[in-house]
Amino acid sequence: MKYFTLSLITFLMIVFTSQTFAQRAIRKMLKSPYNYEVESLGVGQDGTKLVKIWGYSKKAHVAVMEAERNAVAAAIFRGYPAGNGAAATPALCSDHSCFENNRKFFDEFFKPGGKYLQFVNRTNDGMPGGRDRIKMKKGYKVAVKASVAHRNLREYLEQEGLIKSLDSGF
Amino acid sequence: MNSIKTTFISLVALTLSVAAFGQAKKPTLMVVPSDNYCIERGFVSSFDVQGTTMQYPDYRAALQNDDQLRLVITKIGSLMTDRGFPLKDLEQELKNLQTSQAEQMVLSSRTTGAGIYETPVDKLKRNAKADIILDIDFNVKRQGPQKYIVYNLKGLDSYTNKQIAGTAGTGKPSMAASADLLIEEAVLSHMDKFNGQLMDFFQDMFENGREVTINVLIWEDAMIDFQEEYDYMGIYDELGFLLEDWLAENTVEGRFTTETATASKMKFTQVRIPLFFERRGNQRAMDTRRYVSQMRGFLRDEPFSIESKIYQRGLGEAWLILGSK
Repeated sequence: MKYFTLSLITFLMIVFTSQTFAQRAIRKMLKSPYNYEVESLGVGQDGTKLVKIWGYSKKAHVAVMEAERNAVAAAIFRGYPAGNGAAATPALCSDHSCFENNRKFFDEFFKPGGKYLQFVNRTNDGMPGGRDRIKMKKGYKVAVKASVAHRNLREYLEQEGLIKSLDSGF
Repeated sequence: MNSIKTTFISLVALTLSVAAFGQAKKPTLMVVPSDNYCIERGFVSSFDVQGTTMQYPDYRAALQNDDQLRLVITKIGSLMTDRGFPLKDLEQELKNLQTSQAEQMVLSSRTTGAGIYETPVDKLKRNAKADIILDIDFNVKRQGPQKYIVYNLKGLDSYTNKQIAGTAGTGKPSMAASADLLIEEAVLSHMDKFNGQLMDFFQDMFENGREVTINVLIWEDAMIDFQEEYDYMGIYDELGFLLEDWLAENTVEGRFTTETATASKMKFTQVRIPLFFERRGNQRAMDTRRYVSQMRGFLRDEPFSIESKIYQRGLGEAWLILGSK
């Protein structure tokens, strides 16, 4: 009996620990600056990119803000994939350690109400519905159609010295 | 008063030294329609070369008659200007060549009446050129009631003939959009990727030097060849091998490729030259002509004592012709 209890406790501990690890991994993944679900919606007007991007949060309206932030972050760190007639757009920061090397700048840039909002426009202010608003176990996954002012964003990052302009050095 | 003077002088000296530190020579870019584009639309000039009819693209006719081509050139031009690279305009370049040629023909000295001295080589070199050619080809096609665009843009290094950037793709089919709109969309859609690759090319250039081509030739009346042996600083070897030694010591990380090595000709490709050189204590931008002049200095010295002439083909290619100037 004692042996059985001990085995049960060990088994439960293993299950609990592995679940905690899995949850931590999911949380880490969701908080990663490189994890975005993004889709090109077509060729934007001169200097802009039109994308559909997803955000996750416990509350739907927070997920919308998260999605807007992700739209700008994806332009900087990962680029946009090709689709709907638009060619792929490379990341503005070609340096793979751009985020880690400029952590202070990006923490400030992406803080709630931060400067990143200057470079993203939602196509409408209404709360996404239907297939663009998915209720999950602990919150919402919401898609936003956004227009990113890609050229202005590039020029801003060039001014801040985070990326080099095409003619730098000449 | 004295300290103000000293500070002022120091500031001026600092400003001058910053200004004196050269920037690398900026390559020129020009959009040129591809041969395929011109020939497909009939913008060609035909010449009879020893019984064979050869077709060459007629850029002037293409620019005068093709609105869509002009639209693409203007769009790419405005996007590149935005990135700090105003393009050389092919149409203006062709017009300028024509007018400058006419002006040169009528210009004469007031006192002697002499015309401008021009060698046959100068005449031959009077053509539209750029360091990087943006070779463009596009076609608006139909699939039932829908139109779509096939777009192909290549960035070619004029001197190495290498493709340094490129983007190609098919646009989204549309029933409503005009051909002009599809073209504009294609340009907007592909330029970021293209410029990304161009940026990689420039970064590589800054890290590993500019890639150029050097041709070393010999005048037919010169009494030397590349197999002649010399004793240079204790190394007894053929001139060709000693030239390779010089290149190995004077290129970035010793990078170059000997493409041709015969008794009469040596061609070095993928020669990585530094971007700057020092002149009177100042850093200045290097081009192939400057670089080859250093090689000329090496050959002029003992034990070679060879005179030579530099012929520049552009920012990235130069010839050194041994024997005389």
